[in-house]
Amino acid sequence: MSLKSKALGGLILAGCASLYGCAGQHSEAALQQASSDFQKVKEDSNVLRIAPKDVIRAGESLARADRLSTYWGSGWDVAHYAYLSQRYSEIAREHTNLVLNEERAAKLELERQRLQLALRESKLLSVQQQGKWLEEQIVALATTQTDRGLVMTLGDVLFDTGEAELKNSANRVVLKIVQFLQLNPKRVVRIEGYTDSTGGKQENLKLSRDRAQAVADVLMDLGIEDKRIQVEGYGDEYPVDANASERGRAQNRRVEIVFSDEKGQLGAAR
Amino acid sequence: MAVLALAGCANDPAPIEQMRLTEQAITQAKAVGATADEMPEMKLAEDKFNRAKGNMTDESYKNARMRSEQAELDARLAEAKVLTQKSEEQLNVLNTRIIRLRKQLGDAQ
Repeated sequence: MSLKSKALGGLILAGCASLYGCAGQHSEAALQQASSDFQKVKEDSNVLRIAPKDVIRAGESLARADRLSTYWGSGWDVAHYAYLSQRYSEIAREHTNLVLNEERAAKLELERQRLQLALRESKLLSVQQQGKWLEEQIVALATTQTDRGLVMTLGDVLFDTGEAELKNSANRVVLKIVQFLQLNPKRVVRIEGYTDSTGGKQENLKLSRDRAQAVADVLMDLGIEDKRIQVEGYGDEYPVDANASERGRAQNRRVEIVFSDEKGQLGAAR
Repeated sequence: MAVLALAGCANDPAPIEQMRLTEQAITQAKAVGATADEMPEMKLAEDKFNRAKGNMTDESYKNARMRSEQAELDARLAEAKVLTQKSEEQLNVLNTRIIRLRKQLGDAQ
């Protein structure tokens, strides 16, 4: 259905309108064009399936034009029915294209949903992989992998002497812990404070507890639920080094973070 | 008397139903967004329908019927073309989305 044939049809009609009962030559051309258009849609299985009514109408109009063409002075009528036939063929073609497009769209929509799901899964996977990477980082940071589970030690340098407040230099490691806990929502932690043996027992107990609490507070501030965090202060108990040297005492002043396993099972407190 | 009868025979009845059908088809085509500016078929439909209305006034009923019949199919074709165009646009949108998804999937893997 080229534009040309449409233009031709229009031209013929215009010609007929002005001349009235125009010569059979023009109507003959219109008839042939309509006939060839009809032939094309009739042989298209998609058109037959989707727009059978339009094809039938195109055929009926064409038959009428054909019949009229045997009469004298019927050029105007022949061209008219040829035009209608052509239009029905075109409409049949358009309806078919529309339905084919809709069928294609339905398939593409399914494909789109499938891909969207796949993308969501892959994003989830990458988050899980990220979690795994973080876990490796945490493991690397944890100095002791004891029977207590995964333990990370925050050294004395992260606190001012005798103070419980965490220094800014602890931010990086704290953020890593938070991220790790967010990616592993079942894991819980126990934060344990320790001091060296200088000073009174009660003071040390309080300081160790306050320091552990300070770490817990930061974790909570950063969005970790408080029920996932236990806090313990052990004072100068469980030293990791001899308290005789300054170096040993610095080692003993620490906060340890004990991580549970993935299921939330935490080793028993000391 | 005979002449009058003959003239009467030559004249078709007024195509009132066809005029109504054509008007409906034009309204429907406009409703889906077919305009004479963008769709040559729509322009044909409107021009022919206007001329058919003129023919009705002149009681030139055969001309009115033919123009009206053609205008109806012109409008129906215009409507069908607009709908097909829209479905093509929808296909393009879907294809673009799928390409984007595939690209993201490729990046993610």
